[in-house]
Amino acid sequence: MVPRFRQVFGFQESGLVLIVLALGALLTAFSGRVRVPEFTRGPDGARHRVFVTDAAGGRTPAFATRNKFLNGQNLAQLAKDTSFVAIMAVGAGIVIISGGIDLSVGAIYALASVVGALVLRHYGPNGPGAGAPAGVGLLLGAGAGIGTALLCGLFNGSLIVALRVHPFIITLGAMAIIRGLAFVITTGQSVGGFPVGFRQLVRYEVGDGLSLMPLAVMLLVMAAGWIFLSRLATGRRVYAIGGNELAARFSGIRIGRVKLGVYLLSGLSAGVAALLSLGYYGAATSGDGQGYELNVIAAAVVGGASLAGGRGSAVGVVLGALIIQMIASGIVLLSIDQNYSQIIIGTVVIAAVALDNFNTWLGRRRLSQKTP
Amino acid sequence: MIEFKGITKRFPGVVALNDVSFSISRGSCHALIGENGAGKSTLGKILAGVHRADEGTLHLDGQPVAPATPVAARELGIAMVHQELAFCPNLTVAENLCLGELPRRAGWVDRTAMRARARALLAAVGADLDVDAPMETLSTGREQLAQIAAAVGTGARVIVMDEPTSSLSAGETQELFRLIRELKVRGITLIYVSHRMEELFALCDAITVLRDGRHVSTGPIRATDPQRVIAQMIGRELGVHRPRHLERPPGAERLRIEGLASPGRFQDIALSVRSGEIVGLAGLVGAGRSEVAQAIFGLDPAAEGRVLVDGRPLPARSIAAALEAGIGLVPEDRKRQGLVLSLNCRENISLAALPRLTRGGWVRRGMERALASRYASRLRVKAPSLEVVTAGLSGGNQQKLALAKWLARDCDILIVDEPTRGVDVGAKAEIYQLLDELASEGKALLVISSELPELIGLCGRILVMRAGRLAGALPRAEFSEAALLRLMAGV
Repeated sequence: MVPRFRQVFGFQESGLVLIVLALGALLTAFSGRVRVPEFTRGPDGARHRVFVTDAAGGRTPAFATRNKFLNGQNLAQLAKDTSFVAIMAVGAGIVIISGGIDLSVGAIYALASVVGALVLRHYGPNGPGAGAPAGVGLLLGAGAGIGTALLCGLFNGSLIVALRVHPFIITLGAMAIIRGLAFVITTGQSVGGFPVGFRQLVRYEVGDGLSLMPLAVMLLVMAAGWIFLSRLATGRRVYAIGGNELAARFSGIRIGRVKLGVYLLSGLSAGVAALLSLGYYGAATSGDGQGYELNVIAAAVVGGASLAGGRGSAVGVVLGALIIQMIASGIVLLSIDQNYSQIIIGTVVIAAVALDNFNTWLGRRRLSQKTP
Repeated sequence: MIEFKGITKRFPGVVALNDVSFSISRGSCHALIGENGAGKSTLGKILAGVHRADEGTLHLDGQPVAPATPVAARELGIAMVHQELAFCPNLTVAENLCLGELPRRAGWVDRTAMRARARALLAAVGADLDVDAPMETLSTGREQLAQIAAAVGTGARVIVMDEPTSSLSAGETQELFRLIRELKVRGITLIYVSHRMEELFALCDAITVLRDGRHVSTGPIRATDPQRVIAQMIGRELGVHRPRHLERPPGAERLRIEGLASPGRFQDIALSVRSGEIVGLAGLVGAGRSEVAQAIFGLDPAAEGRVLVDGRPLPARSIAAALEAGIGLVPEDRKRQGLVLSLNCRENISLAALPRLTRGGWVRRGMERALASRYASRLRVKAPSLEVVTAGLSGGNQQKLALAKWLARDCDILIVDEPTRGVDVGAKAEIYQLLDELASEGKALLVISSELPELIGLCGRILVMRAGRLAGALPRAEFSEAALLRLMAGV
């Protein structure tokens, strides 16, 4: 059992889990307490406030005192916020392991959102396709969003492979082009008015407002990423190309094919996150996901992916996203001025990578001293 | 007098040097020899300030010194000529030579003064180089001359040379030897790290043998002989190797090359390799041997001509087709081309064989582990486990992994480029034996090597390339270093 656990959950991931636990303990200890309104869940699944009837017959809303960090509502919020970033970070992580980079994920997220939103609106309550069965609109909307994201990934991948230009440049250009397309097709307007069923599906909640859908999709994406990277032959090839592209070529690996696939996966992950956000927020604009590329890359790097390529894991990347979200939420909980949040997160990213380097060095040293 | 006293240096997983003590007299050429991993390069690097000793002291003319950086070593008059690139390849010779201290006038680089200084530095070692040529356009040999010029120019009294001839042509080697003898006359101490016995005995005054990080012996070179040095290096006598595959006549023709050419690299190459045969491919560095190997394997996008396996022509320029036909290429540079150093031993061995280990896209892990351990043990790869990253292994073990990768792929036609470069004597013998075994099993082997004794010992037939063309072929009965050298040099 233990060796198996170690295989799945490498040394690096264990370290990240420790950091998550330590951060959680710190936030619990220092965030103080808060009075939160109490809810009860009706038989229809909707939440209702709990009222206390006093002796005089007056009804006052009931409150409970909870830890600011360690309470259901806050954790549910954290889970949702982490999900969106983590899903995209798995795709970005795979690109980074292959030795590439994808700066266009935020833009792909926006374009996939608005394209999906336009189709969903068509089948929405006020759209021309309102009469169609509920499932049709959902499927077409999801298909359009995912398809758009895959096309963007194909665009990136094929240009990187065909032109042999550094992915940084290609995806930097793609970021502007794709974001521009999103503006053009929406003329900057917000797109909403989706079929009711869609929002209900994504916002389905249990407990203290925990939306199951984003969390479940994130766990699925993480599992898929883990299987891809550590169990499938293509995943092995991704590590090989990231570690030494020339040696991979000498081993008969078709570099172009693998790279194309990697950017498709990155686009796909942005598309999945976009769909979830559509359901969650019920609307999309071309400005969505601005700056996500940096959050996503930061999550991957904090999670142990090496920008030099050849190193990283799906579980690590998701933990990296969680750590960053915990810090962002900690800034709110500890009532630190919001203006500092960017500074703090930037510092954390640099510190995480420096610490990782130090840790690697320490590990090597320990190894060398153990040998007689 | 340079004295090492109780030097110990540890690296991840190995003790590179263990309590090494000996001394080197001034103005001599001192050979440092040992198997790969014996610690000779590490010792040179400690002297040159690249590494710091964990324990022990270094004395220079009786004074204890501890150069912490290469710059500090330079100030003590110690310089090192590296195996690897020591220069910025994109800058010119003049810029590189003056990089430490660019002549300036009012903040601007004084290019005239820089060129003049570079020319003076080069003239001091009798090197005739174009100071305005970018460093990357120079051959390895000429770059080494520039390194030596830089070392002597900055007042170095001790120069450490780490495998200086490993990628030099015969002419360049002679030029280097002439320069070394001249430097010795000028009273400069040379520490010569090498595997090549004949060079050491031709050049050096004294010799120190290291084994497994320990000091074995130091003494005047006249008091010993190559057989004894080899015995000291490996701790046992090395039996003379007789290839067994020659006992049987070669079988059917497996690989045939017709009219293979690549503009600017090589032309008009025709050769054939039979089952159970080891064909050697000799030639000076730059004769186009590795380029031919890569073209056969489908790696040269400009290659023309026909590659036939068992009489059937392969589609041109396709690695996939070459692999499918059972051709494998063990490339000359294992770190750059042969292995993915960030992957572990198992993953490197199975990398080329992945298609055979895959079902529905999934790697069959049990099969993979079995395959990796089978070939690791057949090649006697020495690693703590197959799950360790390959970056930390010695050159010999890395080379075995690069070979194992193609054996695991079940290749019947193996092209092996410089199979023993930078590999210690013990591992060399094992690799020779392995290649011989493979031929005995009926595989067809094409072996490229710069070490003539290696080809002479191993092959049934040797082809010689010169300046991109086949210059001739020798059957085993006519093998001799002299005959090969004549063909290689065209005299």
